[in-house]
Amino acid sequence: MNAPDRYERFVVPEGTKKVSYERDTKIINAASFTIEREEHTVGNVLRMQLHRDPNVLFAGYKLPHPLQYKIIVRIQTTSQSSPMQAYNQAINDLDKELNHLKDIFETYNQAVNYASLSNHSY
Amino acid sequence: MGVDNSLNLEKFCENFKVEVIDIKDEESSGTDWDKENSIEFDMVGIDASLANAFRRILIAEVPTMAIEKVLIANNTSVVQDEVLAHRLGLIPIKVDPRLFEYKSENDAATEKNTIVFKLHVKCGKDSTRLTVKSDQLKWLPGGSELPMAAADSSSKIKTYTSFSCSQDSLPEFSNNPITPAYPDITIARLRSGQEIELEAHVVKGLGKTHAKWSPVSTAWYRMLPEVVLLQDVRGENAEELVKKCPAKVFDIEDG
Repeated sequence: MNAPDRYERFVVPEGTKKVSYERDTKIINAASFTIEREEHTVGNVLRMQLHRDPNVLFAGYKLPHPLQYKIIVRIQTTSQSSPMQAYNQAINDLDKELNHLKDIFETYNQAVNYASLSNHSY
Repeated sequence: MGVDNSLNLEKFCENFKVEVIDIKDEESSGTDWDKENSIEFDMVGIDASLANAFRRILIAEVPTMAIEKVLIANNTSVVQDEVLAHRLGLIPIKVDPRLFEYKSENDAATEKNTIVFKLHVKCGKDSTRLTVKSDQLKWLPGGSELPMAAADSSSKIKTYTSFSCSQDSLPEFSNNPITPAYPDITIARLRSGQEIELEAHVVKGLGKTHAKWSPVSTAWYRMLPEVVLLQDVRGENAEELVKKCPAKVFDIEDG
């Protein structure tokens, strides 16, 4: 009865931004990014990538409530970088890594198909 | 700042490897009733969070086609309408979802976003029970045949779908008709005199919306541990070590 519609998990409603940014008032170089309609699939991978950046002092994500479909990613960096920079860098690097992953799978797939076509007789 | 992460990219490209360990598909599995479709592969050089993301995406975010709307003309079986519709929704359909577009509530049902199946079964007057199996779902390439109640007396009868061309004429479907993935799924059982007549509309969707659209029965991952012996183990100790491990991980190397 109170359950939200299933499409709410991934459809961003009109007027809501997908990503919003809030600086932390009490700590310098710390900020929170709120990503709408995403969950652990994206949050955990982003957090892992942020940990690899040596300028990031703190990186974590949480789902404030399982029925509210958004994640909050909190980043604190050293003074050499800023949370915005760290976030953008992490996303760009993830993009490149995943593209590479996709290429390797595709070449493998083609190689396997080639091999199986020569083995099987149709 | 960004320098270290780009070095990571090169290291990632060097270290990353995929190895397929096992593929079981229809050709390799022998018996009819034990058809397994599975693939097992190792990924070397990625983090657990990526593997988990892979798993979550396979379960919830790869689109497939499944029956969404069922228009029931006649159902005198013991299976209730909604139970029958639920069962029909869970039947996997053998079609490439990339050939179709998503359909939202207000969109018209066209040949690009809908597939129509028809089921019309009647159990005869003799006493043997009839089991309705999924191979009795007949594909209607021309769209819906049930007429909508139209007040106007125009010559064109409006049905529940508006196909501009028959799906038969598309090159992908001209020689292979669309069918359910397995022909032997029991849908309902009928007694003599009972009849089911319905039309089912198949639509593209994601596992996130409903599990019937999930393409995998399951997907899982585990980390492969690497065992490194800090010291050489020789002689009697070596034989004891081999015996002790229940998974038979160790092996004795001569010399």
